[in-house]
Amino acid sequence: MNWRILGTLIAKDFSLFFRKKLFAVLTAIGFIFYIVIYFVMPSTVNENLDIGLYAPVTLPAFTQMQEEGLEIETVESEEALKEGVIEGRYVAGVSLPADTMEKLASKQKPTISLYFTPDVPQEMKDTVVLIIRELAYVQTGQALSIEATEEILGPDMIGTPIPPRDRLRPLLAIMILMVEMMGLANLLSEEMERGTIHALLVTPMSVKELFIAKGITGTGLAFGQSVLFMLLVGGFSGGPLIIVTALLLGAVLVTGVAFLISSVSKDFMSVLAWSIPAFIILLVPSFGVLFPGAITNWIKILPSYYLVDTVHRVANFGSGWGDIWLNLLILLGFCLVITWVGISVLRRRVR
Amino acid sequence: MSLKRVGILLGKEFLHGSKGYIFIFSIVAPIVISLMVSLIFGTLFTGKPEMGVLDESSSQLIPMLQELDTLDIKEYGSTTEIRQAVESGAVDVGIVLPADFDRSLTGSGKVEIKAYTWGESLAKNRTIIAVTVTTLIREMTGQESPVDIQTITLGDEVSIPWGDRLLPVIVLIAVFLGGLMLPATSIINEKAKKTLDALVVTPTRIVDIFAAKGLAGLIISMFMGILILVINQAFGNHPLLLILVLALGGIMAVELGMILGILLKDFTSLFTVWKTAGIILFAPVFIYLFPEIPAWVGRIFPTYYIIQPIVEISQLGSGWPEIAVNFFVLIGLNVILLVIVAFMLRKTQLLTT
Repeated sequence: MNWRILGTLIAKDFSLFFRKKLFAVLTAIGFIFYIVIYFVMPSTVNENLDIGLYAPVTLPAFTQMQEEGLEIETVESEEALKEGVIEGRYVAGVSLPADTMEKLASKQKPTISLYFTPDVPQEMKDTVVLIIRELAYVQTGQALSIEATEEILGPDMIGTPIPPRDRLRPLLAIMILMVEMMGLANLLSEEMERGTIHALLVTPMSVKELFIAKGITGTGLAFGQSVLFMLLVGGFSGGPLIIVTALLLGAVLVTGVAFLISSVSKDFMSVLAWSIPAFIILLVPSFGVLFPGAITNWIKILPSYYLVDTVHRVANFGSGWGDIWLNLLILLGFCLVITWVGISVLRRRVR
Repeated sequence: MSLKRVGILLGKEFLHGSKGYIFIFSIVAPIVISLMVSLIFGTLFTGKPEMGVLDESSSQLIPMLQELDTLDIKEYGSTTEIRQAVESGAVDVGIVLPADFDRSLTGSGKVEIKAYTWGESLAKNRTIIAVTVTTLIREMTGQESPVDIQTITLGDEVSIPWGDRLLPVIVLIAVFLGGLMLPATSIINEKAKKTLDALVVTPTRIVDIFAAKGLAGLIISMFMGILILVINQAFGNHPLLLILVLALGGIMAVELGMILGILLKDFTSLFTVWKTAGIILFAPVFIYLFPEIPAWVGRIFPTYYIIQPIVEISQLGSGWPEIAVNFFVLIGLNVILLVIVAFMLRKTQLLTT
């Protein structure tokens, strides 16, 4: 192995990569875009229904009700209640009439007023009506002969819900890897179309060195950016070493796919045409993280599932090596197979 | 005009055009923009709580739950299925109703319900589900609500969330990227490569070529418009009427694309026109972004007559009476543009022959 030749070839590839304006611009703008998207998304989740309450009388069921997911804040006046609703501090304002207790005691129905802003959806209004009705049942001591036994499946995230932007993190990391996949595929197909790859092979460089250099270029471009992205968005808080390993394997995976794409592509347009289906297919598992339950178990046949699942579990749930070693092993297997197939078909075309 | 030749040329447009930047861009860009808007304004993650039910007794509770708008209900056939659904997050909570549930409610003993809760489910979703089920069970057992409730909406103005306000922009981008840019770039490309001249020396007429390019643009334009409305669940109560409006919008985009394609010589000029004159196309969306702007300002711009019916049908639940006038204005504008295109085509035909 001639390291000097490898170094020269890698430097040449980096230079060629950034000479293609589209990929250079996509790399730079895309990276900034991903960072911006991450930071403009909500960083917290309000998992409570905030309800304002004006109660001139004391109704323990209403004033002392602080269930999980329900935040009832008492205000001094009806005006303050309306102001709170208009300002968006409360999803609804509940105003109890002064004669509530007397009416309830005499089996009459007091009329409770609920205030909403115009943009509150009907289902939310219905929900608040149901909540208030249930509180009234509790206040009047009407028992219910139901006994519910609850079982929590998976880690209970009450109090520490995952913000949407952290769910998006694996998707963005994968997208960064994918753009580099297209860049490398284009680099290779251009070299083949122009015949420079054949010119390289008449030099003392071997085919093996050629593929190692291309592999290092592709993996380096993809891996470097994804690591930087995860660093900037705080994706290493869970287990940095595991995520770095996963991203490295992900970078090798997309390099393998890039070899495959370049083996069937003739020009930039065909690289784009082949890359987009690969892009979409490899991106699908990320949507499983974004929209839990939307995708069934078939997703596990896609190699990117093991990358996305690892990043999601480690970054968002603090999983360790013991939890995700199998994911990494399967991902490594996919990497080896895809890269080997990619190199084989590409080598045939080069020869 | 030969339909057979138009068909062959249309196939060619899709076969070769689909590898072009503009084709890919006109499909990918509206979807990405739509997803980004949903992500940024948080509408993508604010769905209703979802509840799974395993009903072993054909309980009355199920139809009652389905009638309500506060929850999304999914039914499962076995404990394994419902557990899997909860574990994967397909539902927030899954409840198992025992075999004699309805009968047991009227009895004296306690009725047991097994509930599976997804660990990542938000607290408010768990509360909403619990309260909804409890209230319905109370209704089933004949308990009467001890209170009357009146809902009062504060403020007169109808407030439209930003995510919804941006929908007309995305729909217009979807319709015009495909509808305008595809035929325009395709015509310019043919002119640049001189393939248009080569084609017209065959029995193919210039009308056939332009019809094929226009149809390709119209199909992509309508497809993307419909897709964006599906993604945003904004089909309103009159989907057919909406599709008709999208078709007319697509026709306007295609006609403008053809005019630009005939007039301009290269892509640089086209993109310059798109960047500068694009404001005329997208100006009416500012009326929806900022309702303080007087509505009459929008009527100056041709695309207002596409956006207004779309917003009326998809967001305000309106029907034919509310959009009829603008619908006919849109048809009128399309006819005028068609006459211009026909005139320009005739000139082009004379030039090429």
